[in-house]
Amino acid sequence: MKYLLIVVQIFVLYAFCWVGTVLVTWLHMPLPGSIIGLLLLLGCLLSGIVPAKFVKEGAGFLLPILTLLFIPATVGIMNYPQLLSGYGVVLVIIVTASTLITFILTGKLARRMEGKVDDCN
Amino acid sequence: MIAISFIALTVGIFMFMTWLYKRSGISFLFPILTSTIVLIVMLVVLNIPYSTYMEGGKFINWLLGPAVVAMAYPLYTQWDTIMKNRKIILSCVAVAMITGMITVLLMAWLVNLEDEVMLSYLPKSITSPVALQISATIGGIPQFTVFFVIVAGIVGAVCGPLCYRLFHIDTPVSRGVSMGSASHGIGVSKLTEYGEQTLSIGSVSMTLSAILGALLCPLVAWLLF
Repeated sequence: MKYLLIVVQIFVLYAFCWVGTVLVTWLHMPLPGSIIGLLLLLGCLLSGIVPAKFVKEGAGFLLPILTLLFIPATVGIMNYPQLLSGYGVVLVIIVTASTLITFILTGKLARRMEGKVDDCN
Repeated sequence: MIAISFIALTVGIFMFMTWLYKRSGISFLFPILTSTIVLIVMLVVLNIPYSTYMEGGKFINWLLGPAVVAMAYPLYTQWDTIMKNRKIILSCVAVAMITGMITVLLMAWLVNLEDEVMLSYLPKSITSPVALQISATIGGIPQFTVFFVIVAGIVGAVCGPLCYRLFHIDTPVSRGVSMGSASHGIGVSKLTEYGEQTLSIGSVSMTLSAILGALLCPLVAWLLF
């Protein structure tokens, strides 16, 4: 019964994604449909149009396995062997350095803006 | 039949790698990284093309859309926290986006990379489905962009916990904002280990990054190239 509920709720989430994709194509927005679907669902949840229990189980199933869902896309790297050469190493170093600088700077800035917080963990 | 066996193989390898990762506690054994390497090696050794693998892989890929939509749920349950911190989240996401672009362009310019590669770098901190579209719009190479996006995500997921400790980034807001705006979905998925509050701040930062990036990348590309 619980698995059936998960499957049905994934279709509910898929429907939002589909509506998002249709809207994006229709309005020529340079955004992916899933992001619009996310915003639509959020709006529906906050306004109470869609009760949270309609998506709770589906979201609870999909979100913890999010990394698994990325794997087929990441395996696609195998089609670009030039990225695994010396040239690729330079490109990777640049992304890594830029990501780390951004990560640390943003984290420190956010921490500073927060000021003193009691619930450190 | 081929499809089902590739799905089973992917899920099986992922489950084993997740078990290994939890058991060992080593962050370099992050499951998406190890599973990808194992799968690529297997496909190359067995001489199976990517398109054949995707007969099964595409079914897993399809769930990516609903999963992105599902991120609305933690945003909803954590709405009060998000609204309370909206100034920090908004300004940090903007700072992260600009910092990412400046640093990556500066380094690429120093080593004299081609314009297409520089353009492919711009959306690197944005979730892959959005980054792909941006890259194509601004004249980058979408496949390169996907690769950069994945590297940015894995760097955040693998090095993030160390950065948190070294630089005292020790609150749900600062952790979520830095991960979401620098390392998108792959990094944010790591935040499930830090609780729902951190995860939701991470998802909202990622979502805002995607929206901001979709507006800002074409502008930067137009100004500089």
